[in-house]
Amino acid sequence: MTHSTNENQTITTSLTDQGLGEQPWWVEQWMELINSYRFKKRLARAWIYAREGNVTSIRFEGRRVHARVQGTDEEPYKVKLWLDVLNDEDWEYVLEALTQKASWSAQLLAGIMPVDIERAFAASGKRLFPFKLQEVRSECSCPDKANPCKHISAIYFLMGDRFREDPFVLFQLRGRTRHQLIKDLAKQRLKVIKQLMAEAGSTASINQLTPTHSHKALINPSLWWNYEANLDSELVVITPSMEGDTGLSSAGDLPLAEEPRFPKARQVFLQHLNVEGQRFAQLAMLKAMNKGE
Amino acid sequence: MSLLHATWLPAIRTPTSCGRPALLVWADTWRVATPKGPEETPAIHPFTLNPKELRLWLKNKNILPDGIIDATGCLTLPSRSIKSNLPKKTQSKEVVHQQSNWRGLPLQAGEPIPKACEWWPWQVHGLAIQPYEATMWLSQLPLSGKYPDLADELRWWSHLQRWALSLIARGRWLPQVELSRGECYPHRARWVPLLNHEDDRRRLEELAAKLPLVATCALPWREPTAKRSNRTTRLRPEAMRASNPIASCRPRSGRLRVAKLLEELIDAQIRKDFEPNIKDLDPLLTTWQEALGSETGVIKLPNEEAERLAAASKHWREGIAGNVGAARACLELSTPNNDEGLWNLQFTLQAEADPSLKVPAGSAWAAGSKSIQLGEIRVDNPGEVLLEGLGRAIAVFEPLERGLDSATPSSMQLTPAEAFVLVRTATNQLRNVGVGVELPASLSGGLASRLGLAIKAELAETSKGFTLGESLVWNWELMIGGATLTLHQLEKLVSKKSPLVQHKDSWIELRPNDLKNAEQFFQANPNLSLDDALGLTATDGNTLMRLPVHQFEAGPRLQGVLDQYHQQKAPDPLAAPTGFSGQLRPYQERGLGWLSFLHRFDQGACLADDMGLGKTIQLLAFLQHLKSEKELNRPVLLIAPTSVLTNWKREAYSFTPELNVQEHYGPKRATTKQELQKELKGIDLLITSYGLIQRDIELLKAIDWQGIVIDEAQAIKNPAAKQSQATRDIARSINKARFRIALTGTPVENRVSELWALMDFLNPKVLGQEDFFHQRYRLPIERYGDISSLKDLKSRVSPFILRRLKTDKSIISDLPEKIELNEWVKLSQEQKALYNQTIADTLDAIATAPRGQRQGKILGLLTRLKQICNHPALALKEETVGKDFISRSRKLERLEEVLEEVLEAGDRALLFTQFAEWGHLLKECLEKKWACEVPFLHGGTSKAARQAMVDRFQQDPRGPQLILLSLKAGGVGLNLTRASHVFHIDRWWNPAVENQATDRAYRIGQTNRVIVHKFVTSGSVEEKIDQMIRRKSQLAEDIVGSGEEWLGKLEVNQLRELVSLEEG
Repeated sequence: MTHSTNENQTITTSLTDQGLGEQPWWVEQWMELINSYRFKKRLARAWIYAREGNVTSIRFEGRRVHARVQGTDEEPYKVKLWLDVLNDEDWEYVLEALTQKASWSAQLLAGIMPVDIERAFAASGKRLFPFKLQEVRSECSCPDKANPCKHISAIYFLMGDRFREDPFVLFQLRGRTRHQLIKDLAKQRLKVIKQLMAEAGSTASINQLTPTHSHKALINPSLWWNYEANLDSELVVITPSMEGDTGLSSAGDLPLAEEPRFPKARQVFLQHLNVEGQRFAQLAMLKAMNKGE
Repeated sequence: MSLLHATWLPAIRTPTSCGRPALLVWADTWRVATPKGPEETPAIHPFTLNPKELRLWLKNKNILPDGIIDATGCLTLPSRSIKSNLPKKTQSKEVVHQQSNWRGLPLQAGEPIPKACEWWPWQVHGLAIQPYEATMWLSQLPLSGKYPDLADELRWWSHLQRWALSLIARGRWLPQVELSRGECYPHRARWVPLLNHEDDRRRLEELAAKLPLVATCALPWREPTAKRSNRTTRLRPEAMRASNPIASCRPRSGRLRVAKLLEELIDAQIRKDFEPNIKDLDPLLTTWQEALGSETGVIKLPNEEAERLAAASKHWREGIAGNVGAARACLELSTPNNDEGLWNLQFTLQAEADPSLKVPAGSAWAAGSKSIQLGEIRVDNPGEVLLEGLGRAIAVFEPLERGLDSATPSSMQLTPAEAFVLVRTATNQLRNVGVGVELPASLSGGLASRLGLAIKAELAETSKGFTLGESLVWNWELMIGGATLTLHQLEKLVSKKSPLVQHKDSWIELRPNDLKNAEQFFQANPNLSLDDALGLTATDGNTLMRLPVHQFEAGPRLQGVLDQYHQQKAPDPLAAPTGFSGQLRPYQERGLGWLSFLHRFDQGACLADDMGLGKTIQLLAFLQHLKSEKELNRPVLLIAPTSVLTNWKREAYSFTPELNVQEHYGPKRATTKQELQKELKGIDLLITSYGLIQRDIELLKAIDWQGIVIDEAQAIKNPAAKQSQATRDIARSINKARFRIALTGTPVENRVSELWALMDFLNPKVLGQEDFFHQRYRLPIERYGDISSLKDLKSRVSPFILRRLKTDKSIISDLPEKIELNEWVKLSQEQKALYNQTIADTLDAIATAPRGQRQGKILGLLTRLKQICNHPALALKEETVGKDFISRSRKLERLEEVLEEVLEAGDRALLFTQFAEWGHLLKECLEKKWACEVPFLHGGTSKAARQAMVDRFQQDPRGPQLILLSLKAGGVGLNLTRASHVFHIDRWWNPAVENQATDRAYRIGQTNRVIVHKFVTSGSVEEKIDQMIRRKSQLAEDIVGSGEEWLGKLEVNQLRELVSLEEG
């Protein structure tokens, strides 16, 4: 597939302001998948649909994506989109493989899709990401016979952003919700560690600290009233943050797909918070300084 | 007196919404109450001010918050069970089974805790402050210090608000979306704090660990769903019954609750300040932003959209781990066995609330989907918590990914290079994303793990350690990680070019400048003076030429000097000098030793012993010590308040008869230098008043004093006042050294504002100029309660202040259980004139009166004279307290001084008088002066009122500290053991009556030493009777033995001698 046409570049880079390079890799991979579609014109129109807010809703219902796209008709078209789900046996393999590397679970829980996640799926002979666009199944209520039609394509684009919001969305489309997955993984780990302990012949208990007794206040009711501590020395003088150490700057971009009709919405939102944050800081320092005057 | 409390109400009702939180302020106050128990709803707290009284009270105190409504909270409070004797009311069985039979009263703060304590819910009336107004109000509350009418938890609240301000100033917040928790709760936009920074986590732990539970003891307020109309949030029993069955909540771990409170404070403040700007925003962000700036924060979005927004904002926040959980992932680094070996990094799950509670990762994996227990903390989904933390840790410290290559990893190996990265940079970053890191002690940061010095020092052989500037004999070694090393060894370690090196079994981190600093130190080869040694040993964390001092080993002789100086050891006692007629108690001998120790160093000393421990005696013993050592060659000037001049003379006369004491006072005092010098010939001690110091400053400055002593040193606390300036002025010697000693009974070291003038008098260099002092110490300590400044200040002044309390263990065994103090006072001009006039008018009349009337007349005279000694107004039958009331009587002046000292120390006192009229006048005068209630129990007090006064004095935590009693009404039968001071303002002829009165306080149940203050007007009939009683003269026998009959038998000459006023 070639991605070098002008049209193509416009689409992929303007979806977010930062361009593809700064997208998490799994979003990038999804975008590449869409951009492999041959009919660039249709894709371009889909992009305009997505950007101008024709997509009125996207819902993840179980293993399917349900969306509504305002087309030429009065009523929005209903779009359904789904991937082939893995059956329980497949999931058994995947879970077992996924358990083998704790870093996978760790990163997923921290909101990051592990780079080599497909290795876990390889065990089942299946994939997490669709390899070809054809693997993304879809239906649209529009009269257009072509699949994907522009409505469906519009949804493709927006889904990339949803993946960025939460890496577990892909697992859900493959048939396991976050909740279920986490529970299953915990079970798997338990199985492994039991096995390990049995092999080591270790009877060493996985010692749990004994729960301690009641709250101190029940023994000493004067804790209801007493407070003897002095003010933390570092709170004597209230100072602003070191450069770039505010919550906003460390949190970075808000993982929320914006409506394409308002391409700068997120940026404007964050910028405004930033400006306001500096004002809050000034006000707070003033308040702290006027103490006791 | 009432005590103000503040408790967070998770939800009160307002006309616009239900479930909004507020801060409930309420006040408890002492009153007589009958025990109550909960009926269908909790009982009403019997000790609270009602909202109207509370508003008025807050207004008077100038702390009435804005945005308040009357409110009732349901608070769980420790309560005292009281068995009810009343027969149970007859009730239908149906009602009875819902009721508890419990009866009792809620405890008030400060009340003694009964052995068995139960927790019951009480309805508490108060005022609810809306969150934003609450933050404004809390910002104004004091951050430090104890206030008699502000409960401790208000300080806790003001600290929490201070932290909130800090978080806002540092931008440690993010907007979030909180989803509905049920029908009554809409989705809301919230501003939440980010507590991922290590410092903020520590603060959360501290505030949670020290949380006074009353701040959060409100039960959730379940509103009946019916529509409401009235504005107040009064509880309507019939509707509440169904929604709120009686429940009390027992205390739980407070951390999450404190985090929630912090969130409320932050949300309220940012919400108010936020100005939404919706230009160019898409509908979703527009709605969110508008809700962030709206009063209620309600987001009106379909559930699905709100959920999406909530998920996005949650992930946004999770990226920096601003959430607060029960436990966190923790990485523990341990050192390798040899130089080139690998470092071990262990994975554990650590309780946030108590970092010492840890379990290895294996336990978390083995828990499966069950929870595990870390101490009293329950951790749900431990494996997930651990993995999530490790996931964040990978983003900061990449090598970790390698260690998570198995299913249930428990540890990994790091190369030395990786270990160094972890120690130097990654540790802080990891902690900031909420991952705990534990390093080996020698690498765990701080000055202790840096290259520093180990010092050994001793006094020079010929030195006695008397001069601060003298050089010590000393040597030093480099030290790191608890082990010493030579410069050569250091060079060798540096040459390894590895930042983490092993030296004598411990791993240490070398910094780029270490070698340079060490070499410079070697080259400089500096001197070490005794002064330096004192500084280095006073506090931790000192450095010498950029090298931290890890160890300071003083030789035995130097150690002796240092110990004495820092009071780590009690100063060597010094026995009473020859010529001292009296006995010193052991702690007084130590006090004497301390005074002469500082005198040797030419340092000013402040003896601040508690009242009754004998400061006067110690000072006199010190002067006598100088005299007997032949060191007292020039006169010493003693400055004291006018009211105690007589006392000094008396005490000097009886304890140190060898000292020649002179008073510089009154119209006949010397007025020229020649006169004064002449007068001072052979004089050891000249006594004068603060008032005269001002007036005669030039005259007194001209004399070559050996030393200056100030009594009641708080008199100079205001540096700008004339008497303070004059006193400090005279303490500065012009050519020869003058010793400076200050005496005071107040806890000077706790009164920052008063310390400067005192130290300027004693040792001007210690605290520097006043401006510097103000900026460096006073402002941070008084306004913000800055503990590190306070510590520093204390370490600077403490060598010069000796304060012992009656309650100190080392003191108490030396003290008798009852200490009697005589307060010698003089008469004011008005009193003197009236006294003499009365004698002149009456004596002749008595001489010529028929026998039958004589006794009556004599008694009348004595009574009137005693009244005059108390106050002219009493003799003149004035009924109200006029202007200058206090200054008209010397006795009252002194009484007021002593009482203030006693009450300020938090002690309680009884004051007995034989004149009811005097009691009324005193009551009025003291109530006016202190603006607080002073009860007076006298013959006209009804039985019920008496009992109420006594109960209140004994039980009310914030009750009156002083109670006045008439000797007749209060002298017997009452139990007032809470008092530790007894004042006899006028003398009774019969000591047995006085003793009986004293025993109201000094009896079984008394746990303190009791100090008895007896006021005696010197030269008057009061003194003479006192002397007779002391000497146990025949006359005294008669007096004691036979009441007042003897008076009638007195000859006129005897009588004249008894009553006439003697000067001197």
